[in-house]
This record gives sequence, C-alpha cells and structure tokens, in this order.
Amino acid sequence: MGLEYPFMQRALAAGILMGILCPLLGVFVVIRRMSFFGDAIAHSAFTGIALGLLLGVDPSLAAVGFAVVVALGMGFLQANSRIPSDTVIGVFFSGAAALGILLIGMLQGFRTDLFGYLFGDILTIGWGDLRAAAVLLIGVGSVTAILRRPLLQVALNRDMAAVQGVPVAAMEYTLMVLLAVTVATSIKLVGIILVTALLIIPAAAARNVSGSIRQMFVFSVGFGAFSAVLGLFGSYALNTASGPTMVMVSIAVFIASLVGKGSES
Amino acid sequence: MPPQPAAIALGVTSTHRAGYRVVEFRIEYSRFPGTLLTTCSSNLQVIPVGRGLELNVPVLEIENLTVTLGDTTVLDNISLSVAESEIVAVIGPNGAGKTTLLKAALGLLPIRSGTVRLFGLPLASLGPERDRLGYVPQRLELDRTIPVTVQELIGINTPKRYYSRPAAREALREVDAERLLDRRVGQLSGGELQRVLIAINLLRSPKILFLDEPATGIDMEGERRFYDVLENLRNLRQMAVLMVSHDISVVYRYASRVICINRRLMCQGTPGEILNDETLERLYGHAAAVYEHRD
Repeated sequence: MGLEYPFMQRALAAGILMGILCPLLGVFVVIRRMSFFGDAIAHSAFTGIALGLLLGVDPSLAAVGFAVVVALGMGFLQANSRIPSDTVIGVFFSGAAALGILLIGMLQGFRTDLFGYLFGDILTIGWGDLRAAAVLLIGVGSVTAILRRPLLQVALNRDMAAVQGVPVAAMEYTLMVLLAVTVATSIKLVGIILVTALLIIPAAAARNVSGSIRQMFVFSVGFGAFSAVLGLFGSYALNTASGPTMVMVSIAVFIASLVGKGSES
Repeated sequence: MPPQPAAIALGVTSTHRAGYRVVEFRIEYSRFPGTLLTTCSSNLQVIPVGRGLELNVPVLEIENLTVTLGDTTVLDNISLSVAESEIVAVIGPNGAGKTTLLKAALGLLPIRSGTVRLFGLPLASLGPERDRLGYVPQRLELDRTIPVTVQELIGINTPKRYYSRPAAREALREVDAERLLDRRVGQLSGGELQRVLIAINLLRSPKILFLDEPATGIDMEGERRFYDVLENLRNLRQMAVLMVSHDISVVYRYASRVICINRRLMCQGTPGEILNDETLERLYGHAAAVYEHRD
C-alpha cells in the first residue's frame, strides 16, 4: 500500500482533509448551481500563484488573496449589474486564466510546470502544507457549521430569507470567500482540476442518492473522502498520477449514483 | 341609533385613506351592544369592540410609494393599507407592477420614494416584529432534484426559537398537509408546495401574509383547497393577507377588498364594487371585461 513512506502518509492525510472539506462546500455549490463559479475561482487562484511568484510574495497567500478578490468581484457584478451571472463568470474565468499564463511567461528564469498546477501533486506535500490544510478544514468547517442555517436558507430562497431579516448579501459573500479560501489553498495541494472535481462531483453524486439535505452532506463528504483514499492507493498500485486517479474514482462513484438513482425510480 | 363616538373618531382618523369604507360599515352597525359588525366580501364577521378598534391600526400602510427600475417608473405614487383580518387582492394586467408592489413593501426592492409601514413601524425598525411578517413567493425556484424534505425546508426557514418537529407538524395540520412532513419537496404538487410554504410562515404566527400569485401552476382543485385553507386561517388567526392574483373568480370569492393597479392605483373597493365590466375594462382593456364566476 505504500503507507510506510512518509510522503504517502502525508498524501493520504491531505487527501482525506480535502476529500472532506471540498465536498462539504460542494453541497452549497451544487444547490446554488455555482459549479462554474468554483472553476473560475480555481483558475484565478492559479493566477494568484503566478502573481505571488512575480512580486516575491508567498504564492499561497497571493493565491488566496487574488481568489478572494476575484470571487468578491464576481459576486459584486452578479448582484449589482444586469449582466447574466454566467456571463460575468465566463469573463472572469478566461481573464484570470489568460493573465495567469501571461504572468508565468514573464517570470525570468523560472520554469514552472503548468501541468503540475492543473493536477497538482499530492505526493510532494510537506508537513507545513498539511498543517495548513488541517487549519483550513477546522476554520472553514466551523464557519460553515455555525452559519449552516442562514447559508442554506439563502441557497433555497433568497427572498424568503431576506423577509426574515437574514443578511442575504453577507451570506452570499461569506460563501464566496469560504470557497475562494478553500479552493486557493487546495490548489497547491491537489491542483485546479482536482479541486473543482472534489467540489462538484461528490456533492452531485450525493444528490442522486440522498433522501434529505442532511444525507446529502453526509454522502458528499463520504464520497469525497472515499474517492481521495481509493484514488491515492489506486495510483500507487497502478503507478498512475494520483490527482487524475482520484478524479476518476469520484467519476466512477458519480456513475454508480446515477445507476442507483435509475434503479430506484 | 347613535353611533359610538370613539369608534367614529378612531376610524376616521387612522384609516382616512384606503380603509375608510370599512369604517363606514362599522359605524352603521355598531348598534349591537359590545360588538362592531364589519363586512367582508363573502361573510359578515362580528368582532368584539376591543378588537374592532385595533382594526383601525393598519397592519400594512403604504404611502405614495414610487419604485423605478432604471429609467422606468414601475410603480407611481401608490397608497394603500391593509387592516387586520383583511384579505386584500391586488389585481392588474401583466407588467402592472403587482409583484413589484409586494416586493417593495417587503423591502426586497429599493424604493424611490414613499413610505412602507408594517404594524405601524418602518421596515428597518421592525425588530422582533419582523417575525410576524409572512411571505410566500410565487415559486421556490428550487431545483426539484435537490433532496430537501418538507421538515428540513421548514427547519431551515424557521428561527430556532419557533422550531420543533411537533410545531412543524401542527403548522402543516393547519394547512391540511400534515402527511407531507417527511416527503421530499421535489415530489410535492404545486398546491401542496404552496400550502407547505404557508405552514413555514405559520410557525412564526404572522400578522400579515404576502402571497405572490399563489395559484400559479396549480390545478383547479388544488387552488380551491389552497384558498379555503387561507380563508380558514384568516378567520382563526385574524391574519391579514395581501395577495397578488390574476384570477378574478378567486378574488371575487375570497377577497375582502380589491386593489387594482396598472403602475398607478386605478381603483379599490369591495369585489362587488370593483369586479364589474366597466372597471375591469378600464383596467385590462376590452378583451378582459368578460369573465366567469367559478362556483
């Protein structure tokens, strides 16, 4: 199984942490149809990393900062302009990705592996990264747990929430910031594609097989952690890249959930 | 028969705009000792004097409300009031600003000018009284594949201090939907969902319920059941209702008062006064003047 190696232990721990955290927020992403939003944030975090390298700022901090700015920018435009929200996201998405690639190109004498940013490399995670992931899970998890009722209320019907005096805009921005911080921090660990995959696929699979929102949270987190663990061991056994293997496992779970849903009806 | 002086004075001063007609009725019939007799479209209600006088403080009072969207004036200088136990229907053609009126009154849309008072207070300073405000949107706009149960929908939308499973069950019983507690929201019919949404509001004991075209997409049987439940609640809880409707026959049958708008206030009065060919033609144009009662 390879668990005798410290890098595998760290990878496993990181996979489980991310496999819990991303699918937890993923439930909100799926209910609110924000998949594309998560994707755009992931790409802007990548731009943040490039920006950090260029300006000599810690790339992880730069990624979080830039992702939060972009998320709030998108949120503001969605709320305060008449531009349809998918258009807003599309503009930010391509803009952020293009800017990131431009910035990477401007880095003198720095050869970075774009492929590495797409899929990350969970096997190279250090103890520091792991600590960051643990802190993130505790922080984001607590905020989500505390605010779960108003967050869900806004996700289900904004107007009904607003009539009851729920600060709707604040809740929406809170969710965006939680997403931005999570996605930006996770990118260094697991890459852009795995972050968005973990954000969306387990929650989407959970929706197919759950009978309640509570179950959807439980299944989403369960599927996420399961995909991370099985993907990691699978990649070790098959000698494949770990990030894509995790994504493929979660896809398999999703397909199974579709089959389960089909036989139910 | 001399009218009770207190009743006259209070009535005339506090409901000098929209509710004036209600006051007239009460003065006329106040000869019954200890009671005021007021009228609704479908039935007469005897209300004790103490309660009757409270009726003079409108639950909702809108004065000179103007709402603009970009350069377009969607609502122009609208004033109206809703008293306790009244079912007031807002009618008007498509694009007349009916939903805008509801949303502006609830603070969901910015107001250009004018004031909205609920329970005598501006929206911003409602405080805990905000819980007495009920709202049922036209649609939930919820993806039906999201696995939320009725109980969860109630729990998520009810402040903790009001929520318990028995309370949720009781609220559902009031809208004739007790058996829906453990069902998935995505499996409900349109009528069932509307009743569940009302139940959500009942947990907070609302003094006024705002309904936005509640019967949209509901079959006739579901619609009749929905309005019977609503009328029953009004009678039991003295709850006021302000509803947007496009269904003239429903308005005729259930509303105590009708307000017609087409960006401006066109007319208001009892259904008997308003719902005739002449006013409807003025409101909707010629084609809509012919209508049937569905009895």
